[in-house]
Amino acid sequence: MIVTLHLIVLALYGVGTALALAPFLRLPPSPRPLNVALPCAGAAVHVVAISQLTPVGLGPALSMLALCLVLLQLASERLLRGSAVALIAGPLATALVGLALLSGLTPGGGAEAAGSRNAWFILHVALSVSGVALMALAFIAAALYLLQFRELKARRFGQVFQLFPPLERLDQLNRFALIVGFPTLTLGVLLALGYGARFSGGLHVAKAQIVWGMFTWVVLGWAVWVRVVRHWAGRRAAFASIAGFSAVLLVYVALKLAQPGVERFL
Amino acid sequence: MTDHSGVGIKVLGVNHRTAPLDVRERFAHGAHEVPGALARVMAAGAQGGVLLSTCNRTEFYLVTEEEPAFETVWSLLNERLPATPAGGAREYGYVVRDREAVRHLYRVSSGLDSMILGESQIQGQVREAWEIARAQAGPVLHRLFQTALHVGSRVRTETGLGMGTASAASAGVAVAGKIFGDLAGRSALILGAGDMAELAATCLSDEGVQITLVANRTQERARAIAERLGGRAVSLEDAWAHFATTDIALCSTAAPHAVVTWERVGHVIAGRGGRPLCILDLAVPRDVDPAVAQLENVFLYDVDDLQTVAAQATARRRDEVPAAERIVEEEADLFWAWYGGLGVVPAIKEFRTRMETLRAAEMERAMHQLGHLSPEDRARVEQFSQALLNKFLHQPTVALKAAAEEGRGYGLLEALRRLFGMEPPA
Repeated sequence: MIVTLHLIVLALYGVGTALALAPFLRLPPSPRPLNVALPCAGAAVHVVAISQLTPVGLGPALSMLALCLVLLQLASERLLRGSAVALIAGPLATALVGLALLSGLTPGGGAEAAGSRNAWFILHVALSVSGVALMALAFIAAALYLLQFRELKARRFGQVFQLFPPLERLDQLNRFALIVGFPTLTLGVLLALGYGARFSGGLHVAKAQIVWGMFTWVVLGWAVWVRVVRHWAGRRAAFASIAGFSAVLLVYVALKLAQPGVERFL
Repeated sequence: MTDHSGVGIKVLGVNHRTAPLDVRERFAHGAHEVPGALARVMAAGAQGGVLLSTCNRTEFYLVTEEEPAFETVWSLLNERLPATPAGGAREYGYVVRDREAVRHLYRVSSGLDSMILGESQIQGQVREAWEIARAQAGPVLHRLFQTALHVGSRVRTETGLGMGTASAASAGVAVAGKIFGDLAGRSALILGAGDMAELAATCLSDEGVQITLVANRTQERARAIAERLGGRAVSLEDAWAHFATTDIALCSTAAPHAVVTWERVGHVIAGRGGRPLCILDLAVPRDVDPAVAQLENVFLYDVDDLQTVAAQATARRRDEVPAAERIVEEEADLFWAWYGGLGVVPAIKEFRTRMETLRAAEMERAMHQLGHLSPEDRARVEQFSQALLNKFLHQPTVALKAAAEEGRGYGLLEALRRLFGMEPPA
């Protein structure tokens, strides 16, 4: 059932992404309600699928990250009045659901699976995944910013100019995602510490997982610091977001390759 | 092969389709240069002339034979090129003749020939060109330009060709919106105080942009615009420092060279930090040195850029083109009928009356000397003189009517007037 639901989600996200990409491939744009309805329907099915999942393991973590991304995409597109975020968020979410299916959506067994029904744990996972998704949104906004910046600077008035949001709005979206993402992730990390101390008698997780979690937190904290304290904005802030998110991804892949395992998200 | 000889309506020019901006800006004539340029063409034999010079076109509308007026126009344009290409100004130019010339002006005034389809600014520019050349236009071009304005109005009223964003000024607003998002509360500095500057400043003001400064060489005009839009008038020299704080700089001076140079504003803009500065250069020749755009957060757009943006926004206007073209054709037919035929009929009448007066006067003089003739003989002589006159007038009348039907009436009419000393119509 979980797999079937994820396959439906994959199809809905896939078609939604194709429709969002169509105008950039010089194909006729689809009606706006359809562009919104498909990811909405996908997200609704996705919520049902995730509610049946035990939030432990790589597959569920990827699936939850995909859902968070799609929800953030829908929210930001409502604010930006355009579908440009879907240009990156759509393929990313679709790929994440695909990877989740490939990784397997059956949770790890044992005491951890039982403990995963604990509210602290669920909240920890939800906040941590949301924090990473917001970081991804900041990356997407930064990438769109740089593309739009390049087009405006080069005085090219093609599809990017027409369909991408204004520079300042993308900059604001990047700032908002970072500023909301950092406390969200911090709370997620604190809940992990609290959960470990209260229910598990300490943190029983792999070293790599702690390293990656702390690295992500530090990078996100740095991105917020340069924006808020150092007042970076525009292109410099966009480069910082992209560098930070890329570093987080690279460290994840490096750790995953160094310590392969499917029971945890690392 | 078409015969282009003889006096007729001719258009010689360059436009946005045939010449790039840097060539067009060299050919552009300021209002003060127009009478001199037209005087040279008139001295070369043109009977009427109007020079329409905008940022998108420089066109001489002439009533003339082809040579030597054409040579004079090309020489005038060649003189403005720094290095004359192999074909001279002709390389960028075109010639339109007779009915096509009428149709061309009607399409121009309707906005059908504009870079931004359906833009309305051209209507005012056609009117201005006509007014500047009032003394040199002559009756045909007077009527042509008068009807062109009527055609422009008809097209805008009866079709949707003028709907939505069309002008470079409104495209400037759209581009600034792609940088800043919401424009309300942004600040703008206006360089120049001409009609274009005022129009663009009004567009920005309508979007909630605060016009803080209007800088111009002559303070009086700058003050008038500043007062209307809620800003302050300053001299150009005082404006450079404000590039450090303003969000939008709108440049539309009549300066013959770049006034916003790296030397003047480079260090000022560098002190802005990362804040973007949108510079809209609506002037031809351009006001802003392209080197200024090398500064990281400077977004510089010239007339060509803005017109490209507006052109995209007007894609839906294309649906209205067939209706607009129908109006143009209909009006061109009407003008052509007037030009070819209606002008000839009174001339033929006048010509015949003049000949008849001469005949009657000569007959009276002869009859004094031929007093011995009987009334019957007098009647016969009278009849003979009338028959002779009719024979003489038959061929010119037929030729004039035929020329009128072919749209060449005006040229023959001119010849007739010159040969017989007839006064041109008022």
